[in-house]
Amino acid sequence: MGNMDQKRISNAALLKIGILILALAIPAFPFVSQYLIHVIILIFLYMILALGLNIIPGFNGLLDLGYVGFYGIGAYTSGLLTLHFGMSYWLIIPLAFLNGALWGVLLGAPTLRLTGDYFAIVTFGFSELVVLFLTNEIWLTRGPLGLPGIAPPTVDFSWIGGPVWEFQGELPYYYLAIVMVLATIFVMQRIQDSRLGRAWFAIRDDEVAAVSCGINLLVYKVIAFGISAAFGAMGGSFFARWVTFLSPDMFKFWESFLVLCMVVLGGMGNIWGVMVGAAVLVSLSEILREVLSALGMPVEIRFLAFGLIMVLMMRYRPAGLMPIPAVAAQMRAGKVKRKKAKATAS
Amino acid sequence: MTPILQIQTLSKNFGGLRALQDISFEILQNEIIGLIGPNGAGKTTLFNCVAGIEKPTSGKLLFTSNGNPVSIGGKKPEKVTSLGIARTFQNIRLFDNLTVLDNVKIGRHCRFKSNVFGAVIKSPGQRREEKEIARSAQEILEFVGLRGRGEEIASSMAYGDQRRLEIARALATDPKLLMLDEPAAGMNPQEARSLMDLIHRIRDKGITILLIEHDMKVVMGVCERVVVINYGRMLTTGLPKDVQNDPKVIEAYLGTGAFDAA
Repeated sequence: MGNMDQKRISNAALLKIGILILALAIPAFPFVSQYLIHVIILIFLYMILALGLNIIPGFNGLLDLGYVGFYGIGAYTSGLLTLHFGMSYWLIIPLAFLNGALWGVLLGAPTLRLTGDYFAIVTFGFSELVVLFLTNEIWLTRGPLGLPGIAPPTVDFSWIGGPVWEFQGELPYYYLAIVMVLATIFVMQRIQDSRLGRAWFAIRDDEVAAVSCGINLLVYKVIAFGISAAFGAMGGSFFARWVTFLSPDMFKFWESFLVLCMVVLGGMGNIWGVMVGAAVLVSLSEILREVLSALGMPVEIRFLAFGLIMVLMMRYRPAGLMPIPAVAAQMRAGKVKRKKAKATAS
Repeated sequence: MTPILQIQTLSKNFGGLRALQDISFEILQNEIIGLIGPNGAGKTTLFNCVAGIEKPTSGKLLFTSNGNPVSIGGKKPEKVTSLGIARTFQNIRLFDNLTVLDNVKIGRHCRFKSNVFGAVIKSPGQRREEKEIARSAQEILEFVGLRGRGEEIASSMAYGDQRRLEIARALATDPKLLMLDEPAAGMNPQEARSLMDLIHRIRDKGITILLIEHDMKVVMGVCERVVVINYGRMLTTGLPKDVQNDPKVIEAYLGTGAFDAA
């Protein structure tokens, strides 16, 4: 038994290393087009967002419908700092991260006393507010005209007499995105196995029992919201320097919904699950875009497909593709019972 | 010696319902005291008031941990826990999706203080803390008789073991006063006997125990003193033997005239 467990663990580690090597090597394959690289970068970006959002519903059991608000804040932080101050992207990452965390705490501190659905509505309202701000505060954001011509990141070694190298094409972004995904996974895993992570899981499973263990609900929820928002903003900062153009309608509600779908589809609370969710939904979105336009149908129909997927998931795999182990065990137990019931019925 | 908990004219109203009225009694250091009464008498409400889950309408709660009494009436539950009062719940409230060990580790939460930065960079201090949390959690599991079962998922355990785990989690907060809400509910006689043994061993560690229980064998077996409440009022208090034969108590449980019939 112990042996088998060990073997399974090493297999899982091998699988992860294999996937990483594959991801690093993909651009070298001859059949890989710029378009495919672009889509994979998109997958990485949504992985960061899904991992960040996962903290709220997955680790804390709260519903967050406004994650795109923080994504937008990060993107505009990055875009505006680049346009006005020509700031280096390497400096912008931590600044966007901190700005996201700041807004997460500012929104969370007064509203996280609300329970369940009420809190979800507040987050939804917040993300709409962000879009309205971006649209109407023309002096800062140029409103619906958007922010064009954001410079791509550069790697600057001129301060030690080295070269200055500007990001060109998709490849540098591809590897930068991999690094950012790895960093996000690293942080999530460290937090998951810490006192902080355990406090979150306690809140998710039973709030009354959690306070009885001495956990201050509000403080830990606000920390969760801040960290979650920070990763959303970090994703946004990358997005701004990657597409080099921002406009308010990129941060509409359906983006929140899409990221939430990734988390639910992949398996709430499971780091690897939500990444699979991101990969599946982004790929599906791109495939549907091609198929639908080939069929002469409007591409917006793909949101119907997402809705259908969510309905089917709720019916057949409510805990997601890769649920956390305990939930998976309970589901198996439930299934066994159902089968037994059927057997006795027949 | 000052009593560990002084309850003085405690009242709690839910709207027009007076759940507790002028309850006053004291719990002495290191005693095992039983709180009994018919269903709906207000026992769990009293627990919730002491634990900070409910705010008392009036009255005083004084808790003595380090020599000087502190008022805990209306304090936040997490604060009460860190002062040294732990509890279990009538309907078991475990962290169902977590392992047995993690449940106990969460109980250790309030005695440590590593933060998010320590967790991400795995600072030496944080590592030491994690080791200490794991070691003490294992020790507590062993103490309640769940040794070697740390990796099981809490919700998959048998009912009696879940009760033990809940006690383990409460002990993990290093309490001075442990409040057990019907710990023997749903247990078979054998499990109840080993629970009584566990309660005695907890007391031997210097922890005071306040116990709500319906199983009279358990009450008679472990409690040194019993407080009886009915309809939110104090009925009587005394030795288990005396209380058991008190006509007022029998009446409260069985109705008017029951004593004469018996």
